[in-house]
Amino acid sequence: MNARSAVDPVVRWRAAFDRAPANDAAFASRRAEAFERFAGLGFPGARDEDWKYTSLRRLAGREFAPVAREQALAATPPAAPSFGPHRAVLVNGYLHEAASGLDGCPAGLRLRSLGRHGRDTDSASWLQIPAGGGTERFAALNAALCGDALLLEAASTVTTDTVMHLQVDALGDETSVSHPRVLVRLAAGAGLKLVVHYRGDDRAERFVNAVIDIQAGERSELQIYRLQQQGARSFQIERIEAALAREARLVVRDASLGASLARLDLRARLEGSGASAELTGLFLADDARHLDTQPRIQHAAVGTTSLQDYRGIAAGRGRGVINSKVVVDQGAQKSVSRQTSRNLLLGAGAEIDTKPELEIGADDVKCNHGATTGQLDPVALFYLRSRGLDERSARNALTRAFAGAVFSRMDLEPFARAVHAAFDARLDRLLTEAT
Amino acid sequence: MLSIRNLHVQIGARKILNGLDLEVSAGQVHAIMGPNGSGKSTLAGVLAGRDGYEVTQGSVLYRGQDLLAMSPEERARAGVFLAFQYPVEIPGVNNAYLLKAALNAVRKQRGEPELDAFEFLGLVREKMQMMQMDESLLNRGVNEGFSGGEKKRNEILQMAVLAPTLAVLDETDSGLDIDALRVVADGVNRMRDPARSIVLVTHYQRLLSYVVPDLVHVLLDGRILRSGDAGLALELEQRGYDWVRREAKVA
Repeated sequence: MNARSAVDPVVRWRAAFDRAPANDAAFASRRAEAFERFAGLGFPGARDEDWKYTSLRRLAGREFAPVAREQALAATPPAAPSFGPHRAVLVNGYLHEAASGLDGCPAGLRLRSLGRHGRDTDSASWLQIPAGGGTERFAALNAALCGDALLLEAASTVTTDTVMHLQVDALGDETSVSHPRVLVRLAAGAGLKLVVHYRGDDRAERFVNAVIDIQAGERSELQIYRLQQQGARSFQIERIEAALAREARLVVRDASLGASLARLDLRARLEGSGASAELTGLFLADDARHLDTQPRIQHAAVGTTSLQDYRGIAAGRGRGVINSKVVVDQGAQKSVSRQTSRNLLLGAGAEIDTKPELEIGADDVKCNHGATTGQLDPVALFYLRSRGLDERSARNALTRAFAGAVFSRMDLEPFARAVHAAFDARLDRLLTEAT
Repeated sequence: MLSIRNLHVQIGARKILNGLDLEVSAGQVHAIMGPNGSGKSTLAGVLAGRDGYEVTQGSVLYRGQDLLAMSPEERARAGVFLAFQYPVEIPGVNNAYLLKAALNAVRKQRGEPELDAFEFLGLVREKMQMMQMDESLLNRGVNEGFSGGEKKRNEILQMAVLAPTLAVLDETDSGLDIDALRVVADGVNRMRDPARSIVLVTHYQRLLSYVVPDLVHVLLDGRILRSGDAGLALELEQRGYDWVRREAKVA
């Protein structure tokens, strides 16, 4: 054991917290409380069930410099695909207004930052400290150290035709940490498509510790299109947590393609009767990438519905973890849930751990789950080759077909196109290396 | 066209083909008949390059080339086509995509330019009409949700589009009702050409009433034990296979 890794990471993070500028004194006690929550929980150890397949030893041993607001805002984000007319750009955790395009947002759609409206009466809830294990400790660290906590609000006049594009960039040549934080609040009957695009290049090793809190009012509908393209040397830990009121609906279309190590906790609580959540996605763990996705749905009310459908691909020495869970509370009768996890291994060194879980506390429910992990079907491969396709094209076609089921659900055209292109490029490279 | 000499093939330790000889000339249609387990599908698989077979002796020459040294895709591009006994369902890989990719691979090998979308569709539509297939099948996954008959028609459609030099049809007649059998047989008959050879691997004489072969071979115990004209198929239908084995022993 070397001297560096012997230091308790909490001690190092405490030093960073003590040095952090007190730019919002009104919340100093809130932030201190959040930090103590993190310190109390510490980094997860090998015996922590929630982190069974994901070791954070590498992350715990690293030191990351915080980025000052001025420094972050001086950067010019590289060109990015556009997913709609309204865009907010976060650079290293700060709202970059110059790069954003928020003029022309419909009247009911509002985006504000805690960093600049520090005395807003609402602000306390922007720094919500979560409970419930998993990435809880990192969400607390985020609350203690985040730069601009954004509040995105949609009034009941906003519909799912409206697309808000949130671009979350990690930039700079230096090793750095950022804590992007967004609170999304949908009024009763509101609708919104929210694209969350994480980007980072390979120039530096970074740590992105993101939190997205969602409060979905009655009959509201939020569709999240998430594309994770973090830099290949970086760590990303993220918690998306949604509370859904009566008949609210959450739809998530996720594509996790980047980072060296990424962990996503995606949690939805169906608190009102008739609420529903549909979480679907794809991850591609190639090279030595480690991608851990943990979707979890809690049925807390009568007549709630959920679907989880994930597809994972691992290649090279890549490793995927997909641990989906459904909890049906006592009294949440007539709940319906389905969990599917299908996984594809493209090489002997790749690994995927999948474990769908089901905890049922009510007796009148319909819940099922299934998981498969396998390789490309050799019979199908031979069939395609016997028609003249070379092995690479045949593998490519079958891998695309495997992922295609997820793409076909991404019903936001420019997003689907961007994900498709990114996926295809990676697949091409992967197959080039393999042959 | 195709020259198989003393072919010995095993799967694991089990010997399937034991010195098979077969000569197929250009323009001929040969039928290979035999009971279950006689090695018919192994022969078809070996010709197409399927994995899992070990060739321990013998040679297969296709137009003078060592066929066994070629990968499955090289064989396909050189004009060898296998119609599968059990066509594979491949959800997510579009039928039209496969046809186009396959056709372009074959055309490239022949030094022909790729067909544009218009020409391709024209060709495929014509062949689909011939096979009495609904055009909507083009935009489905390969064989996805196809009935047994549709799958077999799809195999013949692929053959018609790719226009191979050597076609091996592995029990394409099995599982077909009489109408579908006629459509498939018509499709095969239209493919008869002085420059093309067709090998029909079959269980029953049924198909051979529609596609009359130039030669019929009986495959038994991993070898061709008897060859004859189309009349042999009828004789087999009436008398079974045992007499062939008995007479072969006597000889």
